[in-house]
Amino acid sequence: MTRYGMAIDLKRCLGCNGCTIACKAENGTPKGVFYTKVLEEERGTFPMTQKVYYPVLCNHCQDAPCEEACPTGATYTRADGIVLVENDKCMGCRACYVACPYKNRYYLPKGILSEGYYGKLTPYEIEKYKEFQEGVAVKCKFCVERVEQGLEPACVTTCMAGARVFGKLDDPNSEVSRIIRSRNGFQPLAEYNTKPCVFYLD
Amino acid sequence: MISRNIPIVGEEFILGYRPQNEWQGLIATAFFLGKIGGGLFLVSMLIQFAAGALAGLVIAVIGKGIAHLLYLGRPERFWRAMANPGSSWISRGIIGMMVFAVFGFIHIMPYYGWLELGTGTGLWWAIAIIAGFAAFIVMVYDGFVLAASPAIPLWNSSLMPILCFFYALLGGTTLTIFMLYFLGQDLSGVALLKNIEIWLLIINFIIVVSFLLTMRKTTSAGREAVMQLLTGPFAKLFIGAVIIVGLVVTFLLTLYFTATESMTVLLWITLADLIGHYFIFYLLLRAGLYTPISSR
Repeated sequence: MTRYGMAIDLKRCLGCNGCTIACKAENGTPKGVFYTKVLEEERGTFPMTQKVYYPVLCNHCQDAPCEEACPTGATYTRADGIVLVENDKCMGCRACYVACPYKNRYYLPKGILSEGYYGKLTPYEIEKYKEFQEGVAVKCKFCVERVEQGLEPACVTTCMAGARVFGKLDDPNSEVSRIIRSRNGFQPLAEYNTKPCVFYLD
Repeated sequence: MISRNIPIVGEEFILGYRPQNEWQGLIATAFFLGKIGGGLFLVSMLIQFAAGALAGLVIAVIGKGIAHLLYLGRPERFWRAMANPGSSWISRGIIGMMVFAVFGFIHIMPYYGWLELGTGTGLWWAIAIIAGFAAFIVMVYDGFVLAASPAIPLWNSSLMPILCFFYALLGGTTLTIFMLYFLGQDLSGVALLKNIEIWLLIINFIIVVSFLLTMRKTTSAGREAVMQLLTGPFAKLFIGAVIIVGLVVTFLLTLYFTATESMTVLLWITLADLIGHYFIFYLLLRAGLYTPISSR
C-alpha cells in the first residue's frame, strides 16, 4: 500500500517562504491560514550565531492524534496515508487543534471567508473560498488533488533550493526513502510517537 | 556549542513555545459548569436532596450544553460528536452526558411525584447507580480530554482527571451545603458535609501543588507553562484567585463557618470556592504551551 511522505533538508532551506506562497496560491487559504510556513530560529549570542529554518506543515502522522481526538470522525486517514478533514462532518470543536503536537491545524472563524486579504474578496478568493466552510478546521492536504494527478505538492515543486522531497515512503527505492535512509532523517517530536510522515534532514 | 534560548511566541514565523489559544473562556465555562453540576448532583443524590440533584442536573446538562454549543463553529452538527467513542474522549463525554440527562432526570422524578416509582426499590437503585456513574463521567471526562492531548504537556498528565474529580466534588459539596441552608432543608447531614468540605480543600491543595511540581519536572514546555502560572502573565490570577481565594480563604472561612454557622460567611465560601474553581481550569487552558520542533 502506498504511503506518501516528505523529507525536508534543513541545510538546503533558505527561509525564502516560497513554499508558503506557493501553498497559498495553490490552495487559496484564507487570511492567517498557512498550511505550510517556515519558522526561523536564532541560536547563540554574537558573534557566535546561527540561523536555522524549519519548514513546517501537517506531518500526516500514521498515528494521528488529531484523528483520535476528533469526536465526529471528520478527520480521517486515506489508504495512502494522507490525513484529511471532511468539511461537512466537522462541527468546529477544535479538539484536533489542541491535539496536534505541531500546531499545524487551523480553524476558520465566522466571517473569515467574507473578509479576504483586502477587506473585499478578489475574483481569485471568490473562486477558491468555495472549497472552504466557516466554523470548521482545516489543514494541509499534501495537495491531494495534485498527487492524484501524479504531480508533487506545490511546496515541493516551487522550492528553488530543492529542500523538499516528496514520494512514496513504502518504496525503498524512491528518492524520499533513499534520502531519509542515507541522511539519517528524523521525525519532528518523535517522542510523541505520532509517527509523522514528514522527515527532517540536518 | 551554540546556546539556544527558545522564546514563547505567538503566530509569527519564529520557532518557540506556542500558546494554546483556541480553548479559552467558553470551554472553561463548560468545564466549570459540568464539574459543579455533576458534583452537586452526586453529593445531593447521596444525601437524597432532590432540589440539589435537580439543580445539578440543570447546571450540568443545560448550562454546560449551552456553553459547548455557543463555542462550536457548527453547532447544528453537534449530534455528530457521538460518532467516535472508540478513541475520542469528547465523544465518550457527550454519551456520558446524554445518559446522565436521561437517568438523572428519571432518578429525580419520583421525588417530585412525576413518576410512580418507590424510592428504595430495585429499579430505583439501578437507575440511581447508572445516574451516579454518569454524573461521575461528566465530572471527570474533561480531565481525560485534556490528559489525552500529547500536544500540550501541561495537560498531558494522569493527575488531570484526579484534579477534575476532586474539584467537582468540592464544588458539589459547597453548593449542596449552600442550598441546604438557603432552602431551609433538613440539616441533619450537614455536619458531615462540612467535614468533607474541609478535607476536600486540603486534598485539592495537595493535588494542585503536586500537579505543579510534577509538570515542572516533565518537559521544557511543561516547565514553561508552570512558570507562566507562577511567575508569568497568569501569576496574579492563579495565585490570587485559585490559591488564595479558592483554597486558602475558602478553607479559613469554612473553619469559621463551622463555628458560627453565619449565612453571610456561607455565601462568601460559595463565591470564593466557585471563583477558584472557575479560574484554575481557565488558567490551565490558557497556560498550555506547545513544544517547539527542533533539529538534533
